[in-house]
Amino acid sequence: MKFYKDHYDVVIIGGALAGLSAALQLQQKGIRDILILEKHNLPGGLATSYVRNGIEIEATLHEMMSIGSKEDRLKVGVFFDECGVDIDWLKVPEAYRFVEPKKGIDITLHAGFETMSKEIDAKYPGWGPKVLEFMKLCNTVYDSMNILSVTPMSKPTMLMKHPEFVKTAGYTATEVIDTFGFPQDIVDILTPYWIYVGNPMSTLPFTIYAFLMADYFRGGSYVPRKYSHEMSLKLQTKAEENGAQIEFCQEVEKILVKDGKVTGVRTKRGDTINCDYVISGAYPNKVYTQMIEPLSEVPVGAVKMVNGRRLSVTTASVMMVLDDTPENLGIKDYNIFSAGDTMDTDEIWKENQTTGPYKYLTSICLDLANPGATPKGMCQFSITNLPLVKGFLDLKEEDYYDFKRKLASEMIDEYERVSGINIRDHIVEIEVSTPVTIAHYVGAWKGSIYGYSHSIDDHAVARLQMKEDDHYIDGLEFAGAHAISGNGMGPAVTNGRAAAKAVWEDMEKKAAAGGRNA
Amino acid sequence: MKIKGFLKDVGGASRVTKMRQELIANGSPVPDPKDPIRELADLLHPGKQQFTVTEIREASPTSTTYRFSPVNGHVPVFQSGQYVNFYLTVGESVLTRAYSISSAPYEARLDEPFFEVTIRHNVHYLVPDWFQENVKPGTEITAALPFGQFNYEPLRDSDHVVGIAGGSGITPFVSMAKEIAHGKLDIDLTIIYGSVKHTDIVCGDELEAARSACPDRIHVVHVMSEDEEWEGEKGFVTREIIEKYSPEGCSYFFCGPPVMFFMVDKIMNEMGVPMKRFRHDATAQPAVKLIPGFPMDQVGKTYKMTVVRGIHEDVIDAAADEPIAVALERSAIPIDTHCRGGECGFCRTQLLGGDIFVSPLNDGRRAMDKELGWFHACSAYPVSDLKIKIPII
Repeated sequence: MKFYKDHYDVVIIGGALAGLSAALQLQQKGIRDILILEKHNLPGGLATSYVRNGIEIEATLHEMMSIGSKEDRLKVGVFFDECGVDIDWLKVPEAYRFVEPKKGIDITLHAGFETMSKEIDAKYPGWGPKVLEFMKLCNTVYDSMNILSVTPMSKPTMLMKHPEFVKTAGYTATEVIDTFGFPQDIVDILTPYWIYVGNPMSTLPFTIYAFLMADYFRGGSYVPRKYSHEMSLKLQTKAEENGAQIEFCQEVEKILVKDGKVTGVRTKRGDTINCDYVISGAYPNKVYTQMIEPLSEVPVGAVKMVNGRRLSVTTASVMMVLDDTPENLGIKDYNIFSAGDTMDTDEIWKENQTTGPYKYLTSICLDLANPGATPKGMCQFSITNLPLVKGFLDLKEEDYYDFKRKLASEMIDEYERVSGINIRDHIVEIEVSTPVTIAHYVGAWKGSIYGYSHSIDDHAVARLQMKEDDHYIDGLEFAGAHAISGNGMGPAVTNGRAAAKAVWEDMEKKAAAGGRNA
Repeated sequence: MKIKGFLKDVGGASRVTKMRQELIANGSPVPDPKDPIRELADLLHPGKQQFTVTEIREASPTSTTYRFSPVNGHVPVFQSGQYVNFYLTVGESVLTRAYSISSAPYEARLDEPFFEVTIRHNVHYLVPDWFQENVKPGTEITAALPFGQFNYEPLRDSDHVVGIAGGSGITPFVSMAKEIAHGKLDIDLTIIYGSVKHTDIVCGDELEAARSACPDRIHVVHVMSEDEEWEGEKGFVTREIIEKYSPEGCSYFFCGPPVMFFMVDKIMNEMGVPMKRFRHDATAQPAVKLIPGFPMDQVGKTYKMTVVRGIHEDVIDAAADEPIAVALERSAIPIDTHCRGGECGFCRTQLLGGDIFVSPLNDGRRAMDKELGWFHACSAYPVSDLKIKIPII
């Protein structure tokens, strides 16, 4: 029986957001001979949902960035529109509520630079204008980043047209924030999103921090009405309509390489599939140490790259269905960041190298952005921290279920302590995800969800500059959190598109040179 | 604007690029293919494994317990109440069938680890008596475990579980009782167990052994529906009987045949048991006449079903009164079903054309799957000629 064609132009490993976006972007360029192989029996990777006892539960998505309103679509929103992927987006009501009990800070910020600076001004009179100035700097850097990531230009031109971007590129978030002279409370209030890139402020490039702040505060953030599975399945449906072949339950074990060029892939099932290009959702760590066949085709530079770079965070998340409405439970906010001990991200970072108890938590009550997400009279609620995998490496099989319960129990305790809200007595369904969960479902290296650390010594600006250096095998591109734009569902889409662009540019280059085999 | 001085500011991009070049230059040239997290995930969820049948014993005059020892020496950690999925060869077909594990989790951690299932004879589960007819000591069989969420969860459940069981639905509670008696599961367990006659009690000896080892924690109440000689509770498992043996604030767990589930579900509603306190095991879809809303005028009809796997297509017959998964199995097209009740989603399938009826019992489809035509093959029935796409196995 023949399940695959003799040859594909492009094989995409992984039908997550990056892989599906890569397919759609290739299709936009008229490249339609595409095969997507997905390990799981669902599209989307982590952008998914699951059902317990008839109740659908969001698996991961807190806030989708880069969508924007219909009037002011941002990058990812524009791309989905262009592809004809019509998602029912619901706006998240607030950016976040931030609670730091030790300092008595409890503030809720909403999207809109003016709005949020006024909200800060109301608590810290006189500081509003300075906050607004800061947010405008973030926004300028954001706009520049979006232009420069697709349009390379000479250094002098860049300095002339994008001076703020150029002048802040070499500094950490802390270094730039310090020049504004904010009181520490305001610095703390402007810090919570750090966890969404998983790197402490003292080593987080300002460029990345600014991107995050501007994106979230400019147009607000969104969630799909039917959970992130809506986004994933609609991307898949469109890619299939456009002619891509998508096969589930097919884990790719080997990427076949000959004389430095990709020739195909082999699946766990044993199918060998020929192709010219592979776009890999699998981490470079796995590709260069397990998947390339033969491994002798892996240049030493590729090994040094994956060994030198630091993996970013993984997840510890407890997801619950509660047996009452948010209102009756006393949950008023969609998203709370709580700093139970300190907002010094270097200190929190130390805690995040362990398995807890964690004191910096993100809690989400989906129903407050998506009424009806859970059946009437109930709601779904999650508590998350994004620690490093380090603390989890010695976990034993025998202890795993008890470990997960302890982790969840401590996170629930901490949330209850900070909020004064009783969660424990209302749990109807509960699932806990750890790096092991991630590794099981999506196969990500060491259960990572955020690729490589967004630290100043692995800066996205440097990644862009070194794009050619990081390219080791002809025909092999990477799309996932491990690619240039890094982590998050918005950047996943961008990473997928960038991989697609690299493929078609190479195709054009080879066509111009007289064909691939010439 | 100025951060630290013009020259330092404008040199930022070059500076960070140099930092990154150094970071990579300092990386070890020795490949490190080890991923302990994936290794742990694979230990916990190894997928298909080979097991050898090492013991077969009577669990009642009408049921048999089979013990399975792993060929590779490893049984993944499971929790009482979870199930195992067997891959049974029947003719040219490989059929997947799920059974609750009746042995205790601690028995899978012994020096010679194993797990057991207990199977009722003459129960039509597409392959009646496959085990009785095909399995001897030494038989090798393919299975995957663990699956399911029918386990005690301390963060959610009361520490007093009342297990309501019918027939071979006792098996998850046998596992729990043994684990409690072994001191590994810290709950009290009251089992209300409905059988037709006392000779039908499945795993009676093992239940009694666990109970007598731990009489403060484990209580067993047998209820006989047609046994005049029986001196204990008689009749069906009623609200009165359940209330009589229920401590305040307990969690109810139900496992048994669909007809009994409908009754117990109604009782739970009448008693006002909150959702949090009532859980039931995934059960296979019952005969179509028991499925609410099933279009009975379809019974007896057969449709043509085009089955797409990759670029390959087959056209097979599909009976209107059998789940689509069964039609695939009859035509020897492998489909990886697990719970067979619509809940778990392992047999998630894409509808490319035609109409289906989906059983409302335990409908575990995602909202967007419903909207865009994805369904679970174990619990959907053709009502026209169909075209579907399933994973290549």
